[in-house]
Amino acid sequence: MNSRINHHPSTEQLKLFNEGLLSTGLSVAVSAHMDFCVECHETSNHMKSELADDWIKTIDAKKSMDADQFSHLIDEITSQDQSVPVDQIDGLLDEKIELHMHERSVKLPRVLSKAAGKGVVWKTLPGGINTANLGMDRETQCDFMYMKPGSQAPRHKHHGLEVTLVLDGTFCDELGEYYPGDFVLRRGSETHTPQSEEGCLCYSVLDSPLIFTSGFSRLLNPFQKYVFNKKAHQRV
Amino acid sequence: MEIHETSTRAMEGTDNEALLIAVGNSQDRTAFSALFDRFASKIYAQGMKITRNDQLSKDLVQEAMLVIWQKAPLYDLDKGTAQAWIFTLVRNRCFDMLRKLKRQPDGICADDIFVESGSELSVNPEQQQMAEIQVEQIQQYYKKLPPAQQEVIEYVFMKDLTHQEAARNLDIPLGTLKSRLRLALTKLRENIGVEQ
Repeated sequence: MNSRINHHPSTEQLKLFNEGLLSTGLSVAVSAHMDFCVECHETSNHMKSELADDWIKTIDAKKSMDADQFSHLIDEITSQDQSVPVDQIDGLLDEKIELHMHERSVKLPRVLSKAAGKGVVWKTLPGGINTANLGMDRETQCDFMYMKPGSQAPRHKHHGLEVTLVLDGTFCDELGEYYPGDFVLRRGSETHTPQSEEGCLCYSVLDSPLIFTSGFSRLLNPFQKYVFNKKAHQRV
Repeated sequence: MEIHETSTRAMEGTDNEALLIAVGNSQDRTAFSALFDRFASKIYAQGMKITRNDQLSKDLVQEAMLVIWQKAPLYDLDKGTAQAWIFTLVRNRCFDMLRKLKRQPDGICADDIFVESGSELSVNPEQQQMAEIQVEQIQQYYKKLPPAQQEVIEYVFMKDLTHQEAARNLDIPLGTLKSRLRLALTKLRENIGVEQ
């Protein structure tokens, strides 16, 4: 399981993640990857401590408010009850949910359980691929992608960035084979044809529409941009 | 104002961890004022960096300092330095503030994404073995918990009920169940930590 993870977020992505500067869709992918990957989890914690140290050392801006406001605010805060509201407890006790497909049920990482908590709607794409959109933000298109056993996605490329996090099963493409926890990054112009013998559930994040490059699937291209924009703007 | 300045001056040599623990353990207002002095301008600067808006940055100071006050009882030294803990709270509030500004859907928030605990990671075989040894320890400590906390652990972990089902079966509000569970787990983790 854990030992088979070969693909991880880059150091730069982990840093941006810890600074809170990645898009929500990508942050969810990194967070879910760390549910599988102890190494990245530890690296990330270490990085966060370093960022906190830098924060304390380097930023020393002007006072945010005058002394009167300070004092007033302190009084206001300390007059409040200190008990922690249940909804602010660190997500420790949130439940994980299972996603049911035709052939299998998959227990989702915590963050994706939360995202899928209200239920998902599956749609069918060419090649035995099913997707269910998750509205995360306005910058990315985030989907669960389920490849049925023996399925092959149409050959495609992207202008931007595609992150695929394997949640269950395996898939392969021209560049390798991917196992649960693998955080697979494809950048613009890389063309690939994912396929899965045993079936595979992934969480996928796109920051621009897919461009299909083979057969009848190319007919989908004019619609991809429309669908991407529509999904990205529906999320209010 | 002078009283505030005099009292926080007395705290000058105290480290952030001691201040935060004093706030958490005994609602120490002077310690909180000292933390406020040390962190408010940094939080404000962080807000300006992200939002470039004075009012939003002041809101961030207020919101983050309130959460520090409220969550201080949850802080302990196992969670790292006080500044890393505060940095996380501020980063999370900032993240949510930006999401709100961009009118993103509210189904998910920073606390869901930036989870503190590594306890739920998928386990490999070596970790599995360690876990089995720990289960025996947990069972010993479990018996020492107050009956109300034993009960929630039993329903959620042994009978494997959802939080809602467990709350219904025990005839207690969901919030009560969650806080009892939280207390019980914190206690168990503390005990196991001490033993190791």
